[in-house]
Amino acid sequence: MPPVTPMRFLAKAGWSRLVSGLVEDYLVYGTVKKDGFPAYGRITNVRDLILFQTPTHLSAKEFLFPQRETLLKFNMEDGGHEPVVDAPAQVIIGMHSCDIHAMNLMDVVFAYGTPDANYLARRANTIVIGTDCFPDQYCFCPSVGTDKVNEGFDLYLHPIKKGFLVRTGTERGGAILKKYASSRQATASEERELKALDKRKEGSFVTKLDAPHTELPAIYAQSDNSPVWDKIGAICYGCGSCNNVCPTCYCFDVKDEVKPDLRTGERVRVWDGCTLEEFSLVAGGHNFRRPRSARLRHRMNRKFRYLAGVFNAPFCVGCGRCIRTCLVRINIAEVTNELIREYRSR
Amino acid sequence: MSLYVNTGADSPASPYLPVGAVVTRVAKLTDKERLFALAPESPMDFAYQPGQFFMAGLPGYGEAPFSITSAPGGRELELCIRAVGNLTNAIHRVSKGGRLWIRGPFGRGFDTTELKGRDLVYIAGGIGIVPMRSLIKAVVGRGDYGGRTLIYGAKTPSEILFQGEMDEWSGKGMRVMVTIDKPAGAWGGNVGVVTTLMPKAEIRPGRTTAVIIGPPVMYKFVIMALRQRGLRDEDILVSLERRMKCGLGKCGHCQINGVYACQCGPVFKLSELKGLPEAL
Repeated sequence: MPPVTPMRFLAKAGWSRLVSGLVEDYLVYGTVKKDGFPAYGRITNVRDLILFQTPTHLSAKEFLFPQRETLLKFNMEDGGHEPVVDAPAQVIIGMHSCDIHAMNLMDVVFAYGTPDANYLARRANTIVIGTDCFPDQYCFCPSVGTDKVNEGFDLYLHPIKKGFLVRTGTERGGAILKKYASSRQATASEERELKALDKRKEGSFVTKLDAPHTELPAIYAQSDNSPVWDKIGAICYGCGSCNNVCPTCYCFDVKDEVKPDLRTGERVRVWDGCTLEEFSLVAGGHNFRRPRSARLRHRMNRKFRYLAGVFNAPFCVGCGRCIRTCLVRINIAEVTNELIREYRSR
Repeated sequence: MSLYVNTGADSPASPYLPVGAVVTRVAKLTDKERLFALAPESPMDFAYQPGQFFMAGLPGYGEAPFSITSAPGGRELELCIRAVGNLTNAIHRVSKGGRLWIRGPFGRGFDTTELKGRDLVYIAGGIGIVPMRSLIKAVVGRGDYGGRTLIYGAKTPSEILFQGEMDEWSGKGMRVMVTIDKPAGAWGGNVGVVTTLMPKAEIRPGRTTAVIIGPPVMYKFVIMALRQRGLRDEDILVSLERRMKCGLGKCGHCQINGVYACQCGPVFKLSELKGLPEAL
């Protein structure tokens, strides 16, 4: 359990000093705008940061589970293999509650069974500063219980009129707050101001799931033959964008890349996606989930049923990214609501 | 020993680091299949069950999952590899004294203790005989197992694997029935799919356990025939092929509905596949 620490008040100038200090000592990433859209980018100055936005187009998973990551370096002549664990000391600023929940799930996924050295080393070297956010019409975090977060972050920032209220999630978070900036205990009126803001935010969600998320594993389990799969399978391009943007899609491929010297190379892990056609192809040419409908059904079942059963929490954190990015407007919340309707009318 | 580790001392070792295994023997079995006997260079936990698999690879060509074909308990590991792609063709160019790079063993294999006293009917199609051989060798000629029958289907006579060994197994009390898909040359044996031989097999519901390993298309028909003969799903074992990339229950490629074949399989009781419509 995270330490329960009182809320601190940090003035805007103090926040600037904190970020400036972090930029000196760490690789810092944070939320910015790219082509007008919220995104993560490298931060070298506090002015680069644009906080409290709608969700970023891509999640923060790339900083802990890079799209391409070297696992081994090898020499084809002498057969030498060296493990590579690249874990820079880094800070991610601006992760929203849903994304911190997603990261907490990834922490479990990569630690259970055989621990994944690469992910765990990166995670251990990553300082997370969460922030509040503004939901857009696709966000549905309250429906999956991820609109509030109490662990996983080192610091968490709530904006109020005069500055920020800061929650401390780890000793490391408390230490950097103390090291780089001066803060004071928040007053009762400041905490009331935050509560009022939270309340206003709660009323602003448009997308909702029509059943408690705890019922979804059972509903999905009864929905293998739902007509909804063919309906969305017929329009899906099988492009894998939903897998790319999802903060809890972690399937990967492992392959070798040979350097131009034709003697050395790297075994790399790259993101893969269960909605891509060749994902479940085996050597003899058989594909166990060839139709797009089957691939989409698999992805959504992973989110609400398969992994939820193993790890005891939905693997959809309600960030809405797959909805926003889908070229044909497949909407995981609408699909789920349709399954709920079918289930209840049976 | 790794150069690039930038972490605390207690960080786990990379599970992707393979162990070098010296090729101690290569046997050309058919035009496409070769048997590689391997001896790992550094100590590794070599205790494996029939039905488990190793990841085997070559630097520059990647790695892939391969079923174990040797009997457990030996000091060598045998993999029988069909040349079909980049990696497997490169492996075929490795000769005695060369090295493959392996990780494993992975997955859940056959529980040979649970099979004690059972009559066993092995039904193998094509390259499915490769993992089946590990199980057969583990129990063949042993008094603590019941009757044994092998039904094996290959495309053509020239693609029949382990023919010499089958005579040996027959000598040890196993009934061996082989069929080929289409009539060919001097072939005097059975022609047709494996199910055409199944009426000739002695199957005693309650005493017989059937083991099926073959191409995906084969399972449905063999299972149907076994059920017609009265076998319960608890007494039908299958090994399911998937293309694992990690072997660690993470990469997602072997997932059958909610189950990772590399962790819960590849060997399953048919009764365990209820609720997993993607399995077969």
